[in-house]
Amino acid sequence: MGWMTKTTETAPCEVEVSHKFESLHAHVKFLNGATINPGDEVLVHGAPVMAPYGEVVCETRTATITRASKIEQIWTRMTGDFEFMELCEFSFSEEVSL
Amino acid sequence: MNVQAKHSADADTVEDALSARNYEEAVVDSESATALAMQNTLLTPRFYTTDFDKLDAIDVSPVRADWDQLIDQMKSDPNKGHFKKNEDWDHIDWDGMEPKLKKEFIDFLVSSCTAEFSGCVLYKEMKRRGSNEDITTLFQLMARDEARHAGFINDALREAGIAVNLGFLTQAKKYTYFQPKFIYYATYLSEKIGYARYITIYRHLEAHPEHRFHPIFKWFKEWCNDEFSHGEAFALLMKTDPKLTSGMNVLWIKFFLTAVFATMYVRDHQRPAFHEALGVDTDWYGHEVFRKTSDISKQIFPITLDIDHPRWQKGLNALQAANVDLADAKAHGKVFKRIGASIRAGLAFVNLYTIPAKSHALPASTRLEPVY
Repeated sequence: MGWMTKTTETAPCEVEVSHKFESLHAHVKFLNGATINPGDEVLVHGAPVMAPYGEVVCETRTATITRASKIEQIWTRMTGDFEFMELCEFSFSEEVSL
Repeated sequence: MNVQAKHSADADTVEDALSARNYEEAVVDSESATALAMQNTLLTPRFYTTDFDKLDAIDVSPVRADWDQLIDQMKSDPNKGHFKKNEDWDHIDWDGMEPKLKKEFIDFLVSSCTAEFSGCVLYKEMKRRGSNEDITTLFQLMARDEARHAGFINDALREAGIAVNLGFLTQAKKYTYFQPKFIYYATYLSEKIGYARYITIYRHLEAHPEHRFHPIFKWFKEWCNDEFSHGEAFALLMKTDPKLTSGMNVLWIKFFLTAVFATMYVRDHQRPAFHEALGVDTDWYGHEVFRKTSDISKQIFPITLDIDHPRWQKGLNALQAANVDLADAKAHGKVFKRIGASIRAGLAFVNLYTIPAKSHALPASTRLEPVY
């Protein structure tokens, strides 16, 4: 990792999307053990993985991981915390008057 | 678990739920047939990383007895099978619903669904990256609950003709960073305030059933008991390290309390028709939720905010007014108004933050039961 430069790598991954009454979730798992660090960006290749209602879809895909530069990583570590409000149940709507 | 669950709502883990037999039996409605009629809402959860080594280093030995009891209770899954529609799920005339109420209620459901979904993504990531068995077990159980809640809300949205789009995975996603201690403060509060919000609405509608305009509110009690348990787990995690709730960290706790309460207040005031339909005064509701959350959070936080201080309500009003102006300035590209409103919002927040907090001693035993 360079101080100013980004690097990219590709990794095989498993994408699982569940669009069911009992469980709505979507996860990406890297199959080569790659791990993500602050500021990294992940792009799963191909068309959106869509599970019709009532189904779970598992697909093996390729992902590009764009590694953040050292500076960006430090910056993300310093500032990422202020985005925490998004975890709260009531804080997602962007619109102030509906 | 090797036994295949009959129905995924009865499963113990997400993995079990995924191998449940009802997948094969599930009624699959064709995406293409409904796509045109459905309004598409793209979920946009955020992705987090944290210091996984720090998480792995947590030692729950000081709270072992309480910890094991809580984990056993979560494993036994008292709400297993609860999140299914039954005869209590009344028919809703979405087309006949007053348009403003419909818009606000759908916004409420979408934001709740996104929050559950984001919680699930975060907990699952922590489960996956961690190696401390106590911690990974907890996060697995919480991810199970959050995914179940998200599925339940999603179903209510589908009835309203809203399709949740999970296509975000193939968009570039940047991972942001969250320190472990901030995860504890923020998620602890988010789970406990979630409990207080849901139980307050539930009890109100119990007394005033004529205001229950959607059946989903009937499920709020069990739902919020899950939130309560999650909060208990974070309280125990914080109890393992007294430094987390003393010294400079008390200022962080105060910051999170103020930020979470103030955000809730501002957001709730964006949904006047929703609260009117529930027969709830938004200011009363906010105060009631803050009071319950403060009482509960005494289990682990050494301070509570003085929500009866004369500056508190004034500060909330100022923040709300600044927020409305900020949105208007953003929508119409008014640069100076935007700067002015941002400064006012910042000052209002500082004004709230500097109200002296109430200190108290922490109880010897942390664990609580949901009693409201």
